[in-house]
Amino acid sequence: MALDQQAQVAGLRLGQALADARALLPGLTVLEQDTAFLASAFAEFADWHSNASPLVGVLQDKAPFGDLVLDITGVAHLFGGEAAMLRMVLGRLRALGYSVAGAIAPTIGAAWAQSHFGSSGIIGPEQLSDALDKLPVAALRLDEKQISLLTQMGLTRIGALRSRPRKPMQARFGASLILRLDQAYGLIEERMTPRLPPADHFVERKFFEPISTLEDVLLTMEGLAQDLSQLLEAEGLGGQGFHLFLYRVDHKVMTLSLNAARLTRDAGHIASLFRHRAQRLEQENYDPGFGIDLVRLGAASLDRLEPGQAGVFETDNGAKDIEQLTDRLASRLGPLSVLKTELVASHIPERAARLVPALAQQAQITSAGEGGHDRPLRLLPQPEPVAISAEVPDGLPAAMIWRRQRYRLVKAAGPERISAEWWRSGERLKLVPAERPKPPAPGETPKLLPYTPDLPLFDPMTGMRDYYIVEDGDGHRFWVFRLGLYGGAVHPVWYLHGVFP
Amino acid sequence: MFLFCSSSHSTMQPQNRQQRLAALRDTIANIERKPALAEMRARAFDGAADGFPCLPGGLLQDVCTDAVRNGGASLGFALGQVRTLFTPKRLAVLYLQLAADAQFFGLPYGPGLSSFGLDPAQLVIVRASDMQDLLWVAEEALACRAVAGIVADIGGAPERLDFTASRRLSLRTAESGTSLFLLRYGADRPASAAHLRWHLAPHRSGRKPFDDRAPGPARWGLTLERGNTGQNTREWILEWTGNAFKSLPDRTGKTRQPHPGAPVSLPLSALLGDPISQTG
Repeated sequence: MALDQQAQVAGLRLGQALADARALLPGLTVLEQDTAFLASAFAEFADWHSNASPLVGVLQDKAPFGDLVLDITGVAHLFGGEAAMLRMVLGRLRALGYSVAGAIAPTIGAAWAQSHFGSSGIIGPEQLSDALDKLPVAALRLDEKQISLLTQMGLTRIGALRSRPRKPMQARFGASLILRLDQAYGLIEERMTPRLPPADHFVERKFFEPISTLEDVLLTMEGLAQDLSQLLEAEGLGGQGFHLFLYRVDHKVMTLSLNAARLTRDAGHIASLFRHRAQRLEQENYDPGFGIDLVRLGAASLDRLEPGQAGVFETDNGAKDIEQLTDRLASRLGPLSVLKTELVASHIPERAARLVPALAQQAQITSAGEGGHDRPLRLLPQPEPVAISAEVPDGLPAAMIWRRQRYRLVKAAGPERISAEWWRSGERLKLVPAERPKPPAPGETPKLLPYTPDLPLFDPMTGMRDYYIVEDGDGHRFWVFRLGLYGGAVHPVWYLHGVFP
Repeated sequence: MFLFCSSSHSTMQPQNRQQRLAALRDTIANIERKPALAEMRARAFDGAADGFPCLPGGLLQDVCTDAVRNGGASLGFALGQVRTLFTPKRLAVLYLQLAADAQFFGLPYGPGLSSFGLDPAQLVIVRASDMQDLLWVAEEALACRAVAGIVADIGGAPERLDFTASRRLSLRTAESGTSLFLLRYGADRPASAAHLRWHLAPHRSGRKPFDDRAPGPARWGLTLERGNTGQNTREWILEWTGNAFKSLPDRTGKTRQPHPGAPVSLPLSALLGDPISQTG
């Protein structure tokens, strides 16, 4: 919340009651602020600033929508030095009609303090303590209570605070005061969370005349992919995550991110992945606004990728082709749509096989090694309840109704009993049952038993399934199971779980 | 002189036209047949005269069954064929399904694949959100030279998969050498440009050793409704032995009478239109 100069001249204050403000200015127009809209607009605005530096964050703790932080380490020389960069960033914001203050300092705390309580400018590493000492304590991003307590004690400047003994201060004002102090002076590192995915290496292309059609963007992307590929090749690196940033003229950023199954720097592959992703984007919401004036392609998750050499005895088993295919499919359909089976050592059928994204390079698919049992070719994700009748309660199933269809079962094999995995259920198994108190002998005081916690006993009957393979007269083969036992605590229910070939 | 010239011109003209027409017809016939069907004629299939042929890759096959409950059987038939298509360079199978159909059809189950005789690591499951995406995936996968076969579950007769789309797929299939199996459910036969169309029904399973009451190895009853495998028979009863199909004699105890006559693509017209088969 802030006041502009006009409001200050009129005598308005922050935190003033609305009635007082109306009394001062009878013609005051009052509007309710749309917090969600402003917050999202500010966030998009922050993203746009990544055209100055790739690491842009928003400090959420003090201002209602946050303060913009840019990590400009190693960036300033691109804009002709720190002073010129500050002028450029502030100047273009002022040109848009905002009143802004900004500062460049070695620490986030110092830059915040200088921009809020000092003049816009640059603090070099050597002037850091001098500049901070002069600022009021509120510049340390403390909360209201801490500030008022410090003011009562007469500690108004940060310099005064710094010379006090630390332990009593920490006891009185909390650890956050010491933390902020150390962060501002650079004794403790303060981290910011970048809003956009960080790209370790990136290439970009600026446009004098903004482009807008998706086809132009993709053509640019292909050129950038070539550049990026050369950049990565020169350093012997390959990337797994790729991000395409589109900077719009109206200060918004569109991001397109994708992951490859294995390290790559193949320009054609990267470009084709983005093309597939863009087809999906086009259907949904590709909105270039008034045009795009900067396109940036970045690579993340870099690692060494030695140039491959085609050997004479190289075995080409097509694994690379398959990976590229799954990459392409996943880039358009989404990673959760392209799946591989992972076998898990478990007896519970639905747990024994997991479908994992084909992107997630599973090290080795372990074979469950359960050869003896027949398993269905198709498994229903949710077992479906069926009505089953048998000649005798524990006999083989004789008739079944599934999806409103009757089946007369002529062959059946089973049961294969699969018990609940007690070590996975949240219940704890009591290995030694509690002692029962003996009835006291007449004339003897009852013996006190040692205390045993009343753990719930694991009931092996509840989660137990009996599986049958059944076949009807026409040759349909199904996998059905009965949950529970006849004569058990719960009435047994039959389910159909799978279909055999 | 003048007369002679003009008369020769008038006689040459229709001949030229006829030749050209014949050439055009040949071209069209070539386009129609090519490449898979023409190739199929030329290629000698393995297997005995009555046995189930070992079909090569590059065929678009419709596997029609009457109801969804036969889904396991048709998936088994398709995967059984894919298994014969594996080469050291083509080791992957793609299974395509609409994401919304998973509960209705069931998903391929890893341990079940291994007990069928297929390594689950070779199977990639793609769950598309709509038919357009599914067809795109099919085409994209056909272009990949490491895929041995693609199996797609098609419920009903989707509008997107009309004759044009199916023709497109059949051409792609033929030039890629990957086989594409469209598993269709229901009694009606939508227009399709598939090279082969099977009607599949499950069959009572074989005998399990030491247990007569238990279901044994899987069996299918198959009818070739369209296309030609170069065999005399059009109906088979197959049993899955764990790594290959075994052709069984039918219920009468002897192998089916082979249909005599030249193989043509439409079975009914072949039987009706060929007088020799009826006299002989």
